[in-house]
Amino acid sequence: MAGQIYNMIQTVITQKAKGNVVIANSIRTKMYLKGIAVDKFTAISPDDPATMQKVREIAREFGVIV
Amino acid sequence: MAIKTLSIKGTDSRDVARQAREALAEFQPKLLLFFASSTYESPEAALKEAFPGTEIIGSSSHSEYCNDGYTSGSVSIMAMDAGSVEDVCVRVVENIGAEPDLRDVLDGMHGYFGGVEEILANYERYVGVVLFESSAKAEEIFMDRLGTVTDLLFVGGSSSTADAGQSLVYANGRSYSGAAVLAILKTVNGYDVLKTQSAHIFSERKLEVTKSDLRSRILYEFDHRPCGEVYAEVLGIGQDEIQNYFVCNPLGVVAGEEIFVRTFNQIQDGGITLHCGLPEGTEINVLKIGNIVDDTKKALDEAIRTPPAGVINFNCLYRTLEILNEDQVEPYCALFGRYPSIGFSTNGEAYLGHINETSTILVIK
Repeated sequence: MAGQIYNMIQTVITQKAKGNVVIANSIRTKMYLKGIAVDKFTAISPDDPATMQKVREIAREFGVIV
Repeated sequence: MAIKTLSIKGTDSRDVARQAREALAEFQPKLLLFFASSTYESPEAALKEAFPGTEIIGSSSHSEYCNDGYTSGSVSIMAMDAGSVEDVCVRVVENIGAEPDLRDVLDGMHGYFGGVEEILANYERYVGVVLFESSAKAEEIFMDRLGTVTDLLFVGGSSSTADAGQSLVYANGRSYSGAAVLAILKTVNGYDVLKTQSAHIFSERKLEVTKSDLRSRILYEFDHRPCGEVYAEVLGIGQDEIQNYFVCNPLGVVAGEEIFVRTFNQIQDGGITLHCGLPEGTEINVLKIGNIVDDTKKALDEAIRTPPAGVINFNCLYRTLEILNEDQVEPYCALFGRYPSIGFSTNGEAYLGHINETSTILVIK
């Protein structure tokens, strides 16, 4: 099923930012610096297990369950 | 009143503190931020004695900026009173090389201001300053952890030294090695943070970090090939020449419109060391350094539309050396001379992560 990584990333950003645009942008940047090229993933991007696991770990660090 | 800036050369730290006390005679600072040439011994103790009721934080420095001046062997001081900073909370995290958990520290700092909800409700007023003592070489892991336990923006840099003296950070009368000083400021009128690196994408080709040691700051492979070989290929040069290009063609993590620079240091142990580690899986571009003065002017003019209370410039030492080499000190400093400002030449910059060859700037409105 494609797009899971994209959905997980959007969930982290949305839940952390709670509508604050500055926080949303900073979360995106922090994910880039953790090794997730956020803009590379779309709703139709294929999902690879290693990246999905990495995004889950990052979500956990941020206190978000995905 | 709001912010005053001073550049002082004294016979010793006590003389510097005496001059500062005289210059700030009618001023009641809430926070004193200083960058002291590493040639001064114990500036923190002398300043704390002169300003006992003030929170004081600082860093040792290779060279200092104040308003439209660049100096070495001096102390640059920014004094912020209640007109610019309503309150401040300072904490020191020691032994950052051990990668401490920061949750309790930040919970405590958030709690000082009434909790996370208060901070989020007034987010535009709260900003963090971080000063790293650079010998720990742990800034990237610290900033990564900091970014997961707080949504506050922290901006700052890493200590540096002149030819003599020790790399240190300072907080409230004490000096620290291997530590980070954190300060959360509750500003009166808000703030802006900007980052300018005068680095542009040299090649659109994305390289994936496939083997690295983040903690030791060593990069081994791009795309499962030796990183030096790929770097040379992108630049179109011989592999034996790559060391000549490390500073003028650094690497960058391109996050949307923002570029976070990582600079190669030296060839070592089958890889190349960096001034900032790169985790495996990171995609980078090879960059090219441009005109520091032009790019800094553009960044400042876009961000600062009304006269600020004060500006703090954490400017990479590599940039300072380039500005000196190109005889661009006067035009560069003139840009900051438009505001009450201080800065210093850093061994790394901080904003959302650890960065190289960049100027991270805090604007207090």
